Amino acid sequence: MIKVEKLNAGYGKLQILFDIDVEVSSGKITTIVGPNGSGKSTFLKSLFGLTDIYSGNIIYDNKDITYIPPHEKTKMGISYLPQTNNVFTNLSVIENLKIAGYVLKKNELEERMNFALKVFPELKDILNKKAGALSGGQRQMLAMATALVRKTKLLILDEPTAQLSPKLAEVIFDKIVELRDDYNITPLLVEQNAKRALEISDVGYMFVSGKVAYGGSAKSLLEHEKFQSYFLGIVDDEI
Amino acid sequence: MMGVIEGTIVWSNIIVLLALGLTMTYITTAVPNFAQASFAVVGSYIALTLLRFIGLDPYLSIPLTFIIGGLIGVSTYYIALKPLIKRKASIEMLMIATLAWDLILFGIIGAYSEILGSLTKRTETLFVFTNLDFEVYGLPGRLIVSTMLVLLTIIGLYLLLYKTKFGIALRASMENPSLAEAMGINVENTRLFSWFISGSLACMAGSILPYLQEIVPQTGYFLIVSIFAASIVGGLYHIAGALIGGYIIGVSESLFTYLLSMLFGPGVLVYGKVISLIIMIIAILIIPRGVTGTDLWRRLEKWLNL
Repeated sequence: MIKVEKLNAGYGKLQILFDIDVEVSSGKITTIVGPNGSGKSTFLKSLFGLTDIYSGNIIYDNKDITYIPPHEKTKMGISYLPQTNNVFTNLSVIENLKIAGYVLKKNELEERMNFALKVFPELKDILNKKAGALSGGQRQMLAMATALVRKTKLLILDEPTAQLSPKLAEVIFDKIVELRDDYNITPLLVEQNAKRALEISDVGYMFVSGKVAYGGSAKSLLEHEKFQSYFLGIVDDEI
Repeated sequence: MMGVIEGTIVWSNIIVLLALGLTMTYITTAVPNFAQASFAVVGSYIALTLLRFIGLDPYLSIPLTFIIGGLIGVSTYYIALKPLIKRKASIEMLMIATLAWDLILFGIIGAYSEILGSLTKRTETLFVFTNLDFEVYGLPGRLIVSTMLVLLTIIGLYLLLYKTKFGIALRASMENPSLAEAMGINVENTRLFSWFISGSLACMAGSILPYLQEIVPQTGYFLIVSIFAASIVGGLYHIAGALIGGYIIGVSESLFTYLLSMLFGPGVLVYGKVISLIIMIIAILIIPRGVTGTDLWRRLEKWLNL
């Protein structure tokens, strides 16, 4: 679905990513883990066109989208949900859903909004509430619902369970699995809750200092010594 | 006293229209536009030109000044700001760019007033429309028209921002431009629209202004203080702030100056702007985000479900 080749990117003169090679396959959950400052979030932003790309290619459905602006990528079925500020707090829930389908025609928008509310029925009772007044879990669900309105094929999520209680985080993880299994959406996520995220994932990548330290099946990454060293505290002198 | 009250309302209405434009462009482009007052003076001269050449009543020229004003706003954005924004210029640089644009407009207005004067064989560097005003049941036209314009603008902006798809997109772009772009909204169009409306409202206000006071090419220099004070006191981050701030500054300036002139003589009239500056400084110290940035306003907004 999306193939990243030798990507070098950053902000102005500050290079964050070095020769990144990542492949996301359709119908699979791909999770990127790594310590703080490893470039995970910058990578997601780069995919969506929110950083400065120095070299490399981003190929999506056999098209080079490396330098395509974000609003065009949205039309191609790519949605990016940042960790914070992923909904418009001054707009109501219904307005957030409407604006998510800004590029759709009226009939299609209604159809997509009904679909989003079918996947996230929790939002039906709070349609006129301002997004700024929602709880963390509700806000994250709204953010994901907006992506559904946009006819998303590739859903890029930056730490979707950040600042949520373990119970709510589990609800979000279940929804991510549901999106893959029932709605043919391909989730690509970055998660601090690395172990749980990899448990629901098919493919896993580990970033260290802006480079890919490991890439393979999520199961193999979970068992890999580098992962255990960084996330489970098992120290290995070779790393 | 009736004259003072009437003058206060008209002045406040004009400040509200001008501050609305300033706040809109500040929210969408993060640029404090120092040329806003010159837009108004351009509006005054457009109305004067139409009066002199085709005899059009300045009130009837409002739709045309609205459109021309919009084009001036858009050209300000395109010529003076967009190239700098593309190069990631700081807010200070953008602010200086609007100051430079203001000086250019001032030069153009000055030169134009001289040219107009040579064509009409009149002194066009100073003019008023007060002798052209009408009355309805003793109420002057400027009071009726300026109040109607403010009401229409508020209703129009409310319907646009809350009841249309483009309006919701505009509000979304104001709050979080990068997320709005991620939603497929062309944020550039919303910025252009804001500059259009800003220029339109300013020129519209400018076509009423000569009914209240004498217009000279330098009028903008006195006006800009009141506009900034209104936007800052009301809150630069909320459109309603321009409305609230506009009336606070307009009423305070007119009434305080009137009261001071009663006490100390008409000599204090020229220092009227000091009132706006004092209120602005107090507001910055006590409520740095203006009236609409206070908890009280947030509670009111919640209660009104806005």
